[in-house]
Amino acid sequence: MATDTFLDACRLGQALAGELIIDAHAHMGPWHNFHVPHNSARGMVERLDQLGIDACVASPHAAIGPCHLQGNRQVMAAEDEFPGRIIPYVTINPNYPEAEIRAEIEHWHGLGRIRAFKIHPALHNYRVNGPGYGPMFEYAREHSLPVLSHSWAGDSLGGASLLSRLAAEMPSVTFLVGHAASSWDMIEEACREAQARDNVILDLTGSQLLYLALEAMVERAGAEKIVFGSDIPFIDAAPGLGRILAARLPDDAKRRVLGLNAQRIFRLPGR
Amino acid sequence: MPELRFFDCNARIGRASTPRPEHLLDVAGLLAEMDRAGIERALVHHVWSAEWDPPEGHAALLREIGGEDRLYPCFAGLPPATRELPPPRDFARQVRDLRGAVRLFPVQHNYLLNEVSIGHLLDALSFERVPVLIDLAQTNWPEITALLGHHPALSLIVLNAYYRVDRLLYPLWERFGNLYLDCGSYGVHRGVEAVCARFGAERLVFGTDLPVHEAGGPMAVVTYAALSEAEKQLIAGGNLRRMLGVED
Repeated sequence: MATDTFLDACRLGQALAGELIIDAHAHMGPWHNFHVPHNSARGMVERLDQLGIDACVASPHAAIGPCHLQGNRQVMAAEDEFPGRIIPYVTINPNYPEAEIRAEIEHWHGLGRIRAFKIHPALHNYRVNGPGYGPMFEYAREHSLPVLSHSWAGDSLGGASLLSRLAAEMPSVTFLVGHAASSWDMIEEACREAQARDNVILDLTGSQLLYLALEAMVERAGAEKIVFGSDIPFIDAAPGLGRILAARLPDDAKRRVLGLNAQRIFRLPGR
Repeated sequence: MPELRFFDCNARIGRASTPRPEHLLDVAGLLAEMDRAGIERALVHHVWSAEWDPPEGHAALLREIGGEDRLYPCFAGLPPATRELPPPRDFARQVRDLRGAVRLFPVQHNYLLNEVSIGHLLDALSFERVPVLIDLAQTNWPEITALLGHHPALSLIVLNAYYRVDRLLYPLWERFGNLYLDCGSYGVHRGVEAVCARFGAERLVFGTDLPVHEAGGPMAVVTYAALSEAEKQLIAGGNLRRMLGVED
């Protein structure tokens, strides 16, 4: 039987040597709804080390929850503490005044710290095509930046089809559809949109993966359109990593999903 | 580190009401997947026990896994009052003799998970040291709390609890030593390590939910845990082997 280095690593709990692994969907800090052990940037980096993950792109829970200002400062401080390991999303809560949002973007722009944006239409209860997101999309379009949005099947606030319509209007912006594998309905919708638009990318974040779902997504949307995401520390990163390592896919496809696609999208250096 | 000896507490076979084209429906398919993933044994229930009729499902299960020494039967329990299954003591003894377990589907099978409804069955299962499994979608934490209080010697494995459960689970673990969690879906950040440090590696068992979910994620939860090999072996399979009385 042919050796499968990736599957063997999963079975043995070994960090993969020489492979670029980037987690495109991370958070940080405590969360009101449940206990999150070791939720600091240090606690996350320790876990990345155990799993052989090079970097994660993070939006703190404070930012997707009540205070994007607090969360953005938290993740920038984390990047300062762990450069190259924690990559910041700038998160925007569209419920706050346009002047505040523009000032927040201007602040981080002035410091040269904006690499990507994160939005959570569900938690902020705001449609992704609403005017509150306008300043962010304006900036993302101008600077050709990626935007990760929380998404779900049947999501009227930030569903894959809605994100895809925005992607058609903003070809310079790469839209990452969060939780694109969370159900077969979501997979169908997200893969259809990823096939239709070059700038729609599918994020695998979720607590479990349906049997042979990743293989189906690669077949339909292509390995170059899918990125590894875990939700760490909202969810541990091990299951999200393990299901890619154990997938019935060629090594080349796994490398793209594990890190090469994210490296391209977020313009990150190699190992 | 040598490979862990995985014993899956949550696998199924059988023709389901709403199968996906890729679902494994039979023993051969399940065994092939277990071989590929590196899973040594599995506790298996038959879909018919959940979706059609427990007695029909039990018969199909024994027929289909018969002679396959890597698979162990998981039967469905029902309230004794309707007499659809053998009397509790007989049923529990039969399950024990087969080194099997019993899974409860109170929502799907439409009965109350309380003492009036299935207390006698749980007494018998407890007496025969038969582990009981229940998916969190089929119950709730108040019911689990009451059940553990009434049956302190019963081994209860909660399946598909996901990652929001520590504030519900930890208080129970402080009181009940016979509560176990399927860690395949647990998903709490560094949660397996936190549970082991606080309560010991004896509280967790490995489960995949094959063929609905894939096995690599649940395996990685165990293999990548920052634990000793002995602790990982307990979670991977040692705890379930002990509960079922399966020889090492």
